[in-house]
Formats: sequence, structure tokens, C-alpha cells
Amino acid sequence: MSILSDVLERVRALVFRRREERELDEELHTHVEMEAEYRTRSGQNGDAARRDSVIALGGVERVKDDVRDARGTRLLEDTSADLSFTLRTLSRSPGFAIVAILTLAIGIGGTTAVYSAVDAVLLQPLPYQQPGQLVRLFQNDVAHPDERGFITPVHYLAYRKLSSFEATAAVLTYNETGADIGTGDRARRIRLLPTSSEYFDVVRVHPRLGRGFQPDEEVGAPVVVLSHRLWQEEMRGDPNAVGRSFTLSGRAYTVAGVMPDGFSDPLVGDVDAWTPLDLSSGRDVSNADNHWLTVVARLRPATEIGRAQAELDALGVTLANQFPSAKDARARLYPLKEDIVGSSSRALEIMLGAVGLVLLLVCVNIANLLLVRGSERAHEFALRSALGADRSRLVRQMLIESITLALAGAMASLVVARLAMSAIVVLGAGTIPRLASLTLDPRLLAFSFGIATVSAIVFGLAPALRVARTHPGDVLRDQSRSSTSGVGHMRVREWLVVSQVAMAFVLVVGAGLLLASFDRIRRVDLGVRPDNVLTFELNLPATRYDSTARGRFYEDVSAEISTLPGVRAAGGVSRLPATGPFHMWGVRATSGALAGTPRGSVGAQQRVISGDYLKAVGLPVLEGRAFDASDDVGAPKHVLVSKSLADRLYPGARAIGQRLRTGGREVEIIGVVGEVAVDNEGRPGPYVYHAHRQFAGDRNWALTQVVAVNDARAGVQSAIRRLLSARDPLLVMHRPAMLDDVIGNGAAQRVFTLRILLTFAAVAIALAALGLFGVLSYGVRLRAREFSIRMALGAERHAIRRMILRRGMVVTGVGLVIGLVAATSLSKLMASVLFKVSPFDPAVFVGAVAFMTLVGGLAAYLPAHRATSADPREALQ
Amino acid sequence: MADEHTELLQGTLEMLVLKTLAFEPMHGWGIAHRIQRMSNDVFLVAQGSLYPALVRMKRRGWVKTEWRITENSRRARYYELTAAGRRQLQSHYSAWQRASAAIDGIMTATLAMAGAEP
Repeated sequence: MSILSDVLERVRALVFRRREERELDEELHTHVEMEAEYRTRSGQNGDAARRDSVIALGGVERVKDDVRDARGTRLLEDTSADLSFTLRTLSRSPGFAIVAILTLAIGIGGTTAVYSAVDAVLLQPLPYQQPGQLVRLFQNDVAHPDERGFITPVHYLAYRKLSSFEATAAVLTYNETGADIGTGDRARRIRLLPTSSEYFDVVRVHPRLGRGFQPDEEVGAPVVVLSHRLWQEEMRGDPNAVGRSFTLSGRAYTVAGVMPDGFSDPLVGDVDAWTPLDLSSGRDVSNADNHWLTVVARLRPATEIGRAQAELDALGVTLANQFPSAKDARARLYPLKEDIVGSSSRALEIMLGAVGLVLLLVCVNIANLLLVRGSERAHEFALRSALGADRSRLVRQMLIESITLALAGAMASLVVARLAMSAIVVLGAGTIPRLASLTLDPRLLAFSFGIATVSAIVFGLAPALRVARTHPGDVLRDQSRSSTSGVGHMRVREWLVVSQVAMAFVLVVGAGLLLASFDRIRRVDLGVRPDNVLTFELNLPATRYDSTARGRFYEDVSAEISTLPGVRAAGGVSRLPATGPFHMWGVRATSGALAGTPRGSVGAQQRVISGDYLKAVGLPVLEGRAFDASDDVGAPKHVLVSKSLADRLYPGARAIGQRLRTGGREVEIIGVVGEVAVDNEGRPGPYVYHAHRQFAGDRNWALTQVVAVNDARAGVQSAIRRLLSARDPLLVMHRPAMLDDVIGNGAAQRVFTLRILLTFAAVAIALAALGLFGVLSYGVRLRAREFSIRMALGAERHAIRRMILRRGMVVTGVGLVIGLVAATSLSKLMASVLFKVSPFDPAVFVGAVAFMTLVGGLAAYLPAHRATSADPREALQ
Repeated sequence: MADEHTELLQGTLEMLVLKTLAFEPMHGWGIAHRIQRMSNDVFLVAQGSLYPALVRMKRRGWVKTEWRITENSRRARYYELTAAGRRQLQSHYSAWQRASAAIDGIMTATLAMAGAEP
């Protein structure tokens, strides 16, 4: 009963608070009147009676406060009053509120988004059982152990006998190899992955129907494992599919198995079908320098990668003695995840570091904002405290303000995080693996939010506690005299700004180094002219085009395209220039001084070309001639070589007419062409060019078409489309793109990192400048009277201006010195993403110092200007 | 002068208020004056502490309130004892009497009553 009435009474008091207050007011006033009346009747005069009545009561407001306490709704009431007070004060200074909330939003949202990306790409394990056991093998040259070359079939057969490996899978490196399926209108090309029999043991995913491959099928046996999707699409999910026939590129295969839904290859991703690899070439010793396999292995449980590497090293020496043509070949193991994530891991780590710095900057900025605000309100708090306000109440109010800001910032950060994440996915698409699985982790959000809130509370509370500790009288006196003694409190804030300048400087240096790298990449000489060259892929189904037809078709199409208006030249190539190494085969001189010697042997990029490829990409013929109509399928096999290959194999002699052996063919050199970079960083490499018509009979390599045009915007593309469909309506122009874009994509990851760092650097600079500006402006406001007095006493305006500027520059300078020390130790970590730029590039450092000094100067100039522009009379009145 | 007045103990005030209201409903000022008068001006009621006490007693359901017009035709909030308030007055008073008797006993005790040394 009494508990019930207690609760009811409290609720009532809360709900009818206004009425309660009104009634209380009336009741107390009645009381005072009655007392005064009583005192008058006992002989006191009216005014004194009234005054004594109030004193006897103990003060109307004081009693009201005690009654409010007694109502038991005090905490709730005060909190809601504080909250509405907070909202009112914040809306009175919207600038402060907006800056604080935006700062928090950028800090929390940005950190969360970037950390989510790092988590998805780097930290989540590969989606296979015991992914830590998966390693990738690369071959290298004994002199260049960091090279990552493909594996020869001869070496693969030896490596897979190692006891450290539970299973070792080889897959065909050239993942562009596909197969044609269907007929007529339903004809299409699928992605085919020829693989060794242990592939399914390595990934530990086995067909859900049927089986994988047997070792005795590793001769290119006509069996196929279908992906779940292909099985659904082409066989309507037939549960009895195993054993049925399936036609690939006109050849009948038997379905051996069907993979489970959702399986994807760790390296290539979506694959439509798997066939057994033909490893018979591995038993031919002449292939010991023929690198064309990608090898992934699963270590035995509890086998350290170091132990496996030692075993591999020992075997490498044995094999080097066994195969003279590969005596320098060694191999190295890398964790598969490291290989897949590769250099993007460093890019992401840099991003993570950058975003960490930004989060720190944000916390510092919030701290600074709240400290300034706290100091500005010290006077107000001192006054309230002197008027009898409870100090715990003041502290609580500051706390509520901080929490309100942190909450609003957290809300806004959700939006920022969403935006930032979609930006990361869009910007990083195709260059950063595994980004597709990017999701916003609520734990992460909670973490960032926690950090920001804690900093808001700590720095929001600090000034309130200081007020609570000091005697209000001191503060009030201090303030009314408007002396310079308030400056003592600024030390902390200046150090905060120093740290901001230092952090911003580190980010500016990072962004500057990347900018410089990017500039150098753009200026790399690739050996070809990639601008205004249209490229597209054209696959000829083997069912309708035999090797002779293919050879003829590519030549005819190029010739026809080159007659289109606006086209300068057209041709085809098996791999576009400067887009990475591909088809690296051993090349041995069979004539000249070095024939048959170890020095007369080198690995070279093999390219098959058709039409007027050289002219289309602007590759000059230095000696001899280009291919012409005479280099037909029946004619002696001819090749073109790059200058570096000619110089290496036939030093001091004329290369034209010399002979070499590569890919099982003996050929004659008819021309020497210019050097072409292997990748967009300008890495050089020797090249051998084959004529497609003479090569088509050996291997079916699809040629990417290149068309040099006068104006990329003209309707050349649609003209080519019309031309193709007139020749063969089933042909498709795949992935049309400009050559410079295709080459540039190789730099996309760097561009991605650069954009992120630039954004962060911009945010950091803005925060640091805001911080400096805020601190100096506050100082100017505090000392406005002092400055006015000085000016009134005859001080030069520019002397005062200089004094404030100097103060700003000292803060900036100290920040820059600390930033320099930090940047020199941190920029080393960026070495792997830089290109031909030292991590200590003096130009970048000098530029960053100059830039930050300029920003610091600007941030200091405005307050300095304001300090001296006011009329001293106004400030003194 | 100050010695002649005695500050009221917390809790005691509530009992005195309940006793005052046991005669008839009364407003705040009236309660304060009655207590003072009934104690022959020994107890000085700090008028300011009366109102929070009344709010607490109302919360506990011992009193209820009503706005009425005084004999001087002023609007005032009158406090009236509830049944629970009456019970509370009873138990409060008997507890007080026990405590008072005990204290009395102690204060008037002789050495013999406290138990002689063995």
C-alpha cells in the first residue's frame, strides 16, 4: 500500500511537474503571507515582518529545492532539465556542435569502414578447411630469390613427392583458357581450369556428386568436373549426371563429378569446369625451363613452413644437378593467403595506420574543442557555483553535454561509415581481393564509438572538475579583470595542437610520397604508345574455327578494321604490353658463339601477334623486317626478338638470320624490335614474338585485338561491332577498353591507396588547422583587453600581430619537428608501395614542411588580424 | 535565548506533525505554529524543513492534501491525516514511549541498579 502510494506519488509529481511547481510556489507564498500577518499583529512593521518571514522559512527557493529533493524524482527531473539545457546551449552555439559532431562522425565512421576492409581482406581466414596449411610455390633464379616465377611441369612432378606436403595441386596458369560449349545460338565460352589430380585434396573440397580426378587421368583425359552452376544450367541439375557425356570445344568428355554450390577457386575465383591437366610434358626433360604451372600445396598437419622450405631447398640442389638447362632454378614457399592478399596487405596496413592517426586527431580535436568550451564557460560555472548551484550538478551537466555530443557523433558516423564503405568497395574493386565480403562489424563500431565517447567525456569533464576544485571567487575575479592570467591554462591545448600538427605532417608526407610515386609511374617509358589504342577480346570457338581458319580470320579481321575511317592500324596479340609477365619460356641460342652454352639460354616473354600489331602499338622495328604475308603456315618459322634478347644471345653479332629454340620449336630471327616493359612500372624483359599464322597450329591462344585510332570518341567501336557481326553473327566483342586504361589498372591499387591517404591527409590538415586557429583565437579573445591597452598605450599593431603569428609558428614548428622524426621512421614502412621514390625523398619532405608552415601561418593569421583590427576603445569600454 | 529552544530530531518532526493533524486538517503555516505553541515555545520548528517532511509523508500515504479557503479567506493547501497516518502515529508514539522510558531509566539509574562490582 505504502510502496504503491509512494510510486504513484512520484509518478504524479513527475507527470504534473508544472502543476506541482505552481502549487508549491503558491503554498510557500501563502505561508510567508500568513507569517507576515502574524508578525504584524504582534507589532512588527510590514516590511521587516515580511523580510523576517522569509528568513524564518529559510528562503523560498531553498525550500523549493528541498521539496524537489523530497519528491524523489530529482535525478530524472534534473537529467531531463540538463538535457534540454544542453540542447539549448548547443543550439545557441551551432558551430561548436556541428564541428564536434562532424569530427566525431569522420573519426568513428572512417575508422570503422577502413578497419572493416582490413578485416575482410587481411584478417578473415581463407574459406577452406585449415587454411593455414595452404602454401603457394614459386620458382626463382638462384641469384634472384625474391622472384615469383611459375613452375615447370618437370619440377612440379619432383616437388609433389616431398614428404612435407599432404597434397600438391598444379593448375594451368593461363586462366584465360576457356572452352566453348553449346551450339548455334546457345554457343558460349566458359571458364575452364585444367588441374592436377590432387587439386581437390589441397582445397579439401570434393565433388558433391561423383569424384575428382585420378593420377592416371593426368594426361588430359576426357573427363570433367562441373561447377554447381554449370550443372544446373546445362544439365538441369540432373542427379544422374555422372557418367553422362559433356561436349567441350567440340570434344566429348565424361562427367566425373559436380562440385558443391558456392565453391570457388582460391586463386581464380569462379570456374565453370575442371579437367585433368596433361602432365606428360613433365616427363620430358626439355621442359625443365618451361614455366607454365601455378602450384598450390597443403602442408602436412604440424609441419612448419620453414621445414618444408628446407626440404624444398635440398631438392632444388639435386634437381639443378639433374637438369643442366635449369641449374639456377630454385623454389620458395609462401603462405597462400599472403600470396592472394599480396601487396594489397601493405596498402591496407598503411590505410589502417592513416585512419588510426585520423582517429587520434579527432580525439585530440574533440578534447581541444571541449577544453576551450569548458574554459569559456568557467565564468558561467563559477557564477552558478557562487549562487549556490551544486557542483556535482555542474559536473553532471558537462557530462550530459559530452555524452549528447558523442551520441550525435555516433549516429552521424553510421552514415559516414556506410558511405566510406561503399566508396572503398567501388574504388578497390578489382585491385583489392576479397573486398566483396565487406560488412560493417557492429563490434567495431562499438569500439570506435567507445573511444570517441571516452575522449569526449574525459575532456568534457576536465574543465568542469577544475571549476569544481577551484574557488569560484578566483575564477570570477580572474575573468572580470580580464588579465593574461588565463593564459596559464592554454599550455595543454597548445601541446594538443602540436600533436595534431605532427600527425597531420606524417599523413601529408605519406600522401606526398605516393603522389611522387604516381607521377614517376606516369612518366615511365613503356616502349609502346598506349594512348588512343582500342583493345577488345575476340574468342574463336574451336568447333567452328580450326587452326588454319583461326590464322586466316585474325589476319583478315585486322586488315578489314584498318580500312575503317579513323583507324591507323589494327592487329592482335596474345597478351597486351606492360600488363604483367605471361608465357615465360626458356629460349636457347642454336647458332652464334653462345649456342649450346649456359649463357646462351634465357627466359623470355613469348607473344603471338597478328595483323599490324607493331604499328598499332607504336613498337619500332630496329633491324630486319616485321612479319608479312610471306610468313605463312607453310613457310619456315620466323620470330622477332627484342633488342635485349638479341644482345644477350648473340653478343657482338648481327641477330638477323640467327636461330634459337623455344617452346619445342626451332626458329629463325628475321627482325629486332624495341624494348617493351613487362609491367606498368617499366620492368624490362626480353621478348620473342611469333607470327600467329605459324603458331595457331601449336596452341589455341585467343588474341586480344588492338586498334590504333585517331579519336577514341569517334564511333569506331560500333563500326567494328558491325563489321564482326557481318563476318560471323555469333562472335562477341569482349571487354572493349582503351590500352592506357588497361595498363593503368595495374596501378589501380596504388591509386586506391593514394586516394585514401589524400583524403585522410586533407582531413588531418583541416583538423590541425582548426585546432591551431581555435587555440589562437581563444587566446586573442582572452587577451583582447590587454591588447587594447597596449595599443592605446602606443604599441604598434603589427608588433601585436607579429606576437600572435610567432606564437602560432612556434606551435607549428614544434609540431613539425616531432612530425619529421615520426615521418622518417614511419615512411620506411611505405617502401613497398612506393615507386622509384625514396621514403626520405627530400623534395616531398621539404614540400610537406612548406605546406604545413603555410597552413599554420594561415590559421594563425586570422586571429592575429582580428586581435589588432578591433578599435581599442570598444574593447576597453 | 537559543538555549531555550530545542532543535527537533529528524523523525520526531513527523510524529509531531501527525499529532497536530490528528485534531483537524491544517495548512503548513498552521502546523508549524501549533507545534510551537503546544510545546510552549520549546520546540522551534524550522519552517523550511516542514514542507519537505510533508511531501515525504504524503508520498508514504500518511497524509492527503486539499486546497481550501482559510477563515481569513485565503487559499491554502490543507493536510489531512489518512487511516495509514493514524496507524503510523500510534506505532510511532509507542516506539517513542518505549525509547523515552528506556532513556529515562538510564538517566535516573543508580550504581546499585547498574550492578555492583563482584
